[in-house]
Amino acid sequence: MPLILLQAAPPANLTYLFAAFAVCWLVFFAYAFFLTRRRRELEQEWAELEGEGGAGDGEEGGG
Amino acid sequence: MTTAQELRPARGRAGFPGWPGILLILTGGLMLVNLYLIFLTAPTDAVLGEVQRIFYFHVPIAIVSFVAFFVVFVGSIGYLITRRRGWDATAHAAAEVGVVFVTLALLTGAIWARPVWGVWWTWEPRLTTTLILWLIYIGYLMLRAYVPNRRQGAVYAAAVGIIGFVDVPIVYYSVQWWRSIHPSAVVGPLANSGALEPIMQFILFFSLAVFLLLFLYLLLERIALRRGDDRLADRRLAALRRRRD
Repeated sequence: MPLILLQAAPPANLTYLFAAFAVCWLVFFAYAFFLTRRRRELEQEWAELEGEGGAGDGEEGGG
Repeated sequence: MTTAQELRPARGRAGFPGWPGILLILTGGLMLVNLYLIFLTAPTDAVLGEVQRIFYFHVPIAIVSFVAFFVVFVGSIGYLITRRRGWDATAHAAAEVGVVFVTLALLTGAIWARPVWGVWWTWEPRLTTTLILWLIYIGYLMLRAYVPNRRQGAVYAAAVGIIGFVDVPIVYYSVQWWRSIHPSAVVGPLANSGALEPIMQFILFFSLAVFLLLFLYLLLERIALRRGDDRLADRRLAALRRRRD
């Protein structure tokens, strides 16, 4: 009797594929948002320091 | 002199984007091509099916995290030898961006493992050593955040950055040294030449190049922020001293 092997197509698992890519972009955007917010805070702190007249030449050393 | 304007490296003169802006636009454009290649050009894996496309993100992200921790390693050695703040800023920035990448490698790996292995997580060598890598660099960042003296914190962090890097080759060789269910390496000295079809290999390396560009952009942005932080702390200190005098 001939043996017939039927190979089924592998499951697509598109939910997992979507989840993996969504997680990647969420984390990258969250990190970009954190960097942008931190930069804004820093700009504000600089502006405040300049307003106080404290942003003159200061000490900048290595270490 | 540093001003608030200098903390905006993505903007150039006369409304044109500066070099980080150009790098960001280039990375964004290439990322779109990368997505096209991954979803529309790469062949569907005969055994794993569509979910195998996670591979084109998961593997490059994991490799980029190794590159990031290598930068931490070099920056830490550079700082301990020269005591120049630039080395420390580079190591600090690379550690933070590296943690983002290794977190994603763990998360995408877990999401891929669920349909393929039937579990989100298993304590096998590659996954366990990667989790240890993540913990090492989380510890590195916590150390930097909690040591009150910045210089002392930089020295301690440099020591962790050098010792912690030992785990990177352990992660890479773990699939060879111990019995592992994780697939063997497709890039580097352990990779078999015929492990991937040429088109899959091309898309993998293209994706790696794009993620390396993204890493470079994030690293440069983070270094600029760290320098801004350092200079602000210097000016504050100088202003305090002037007031006291």
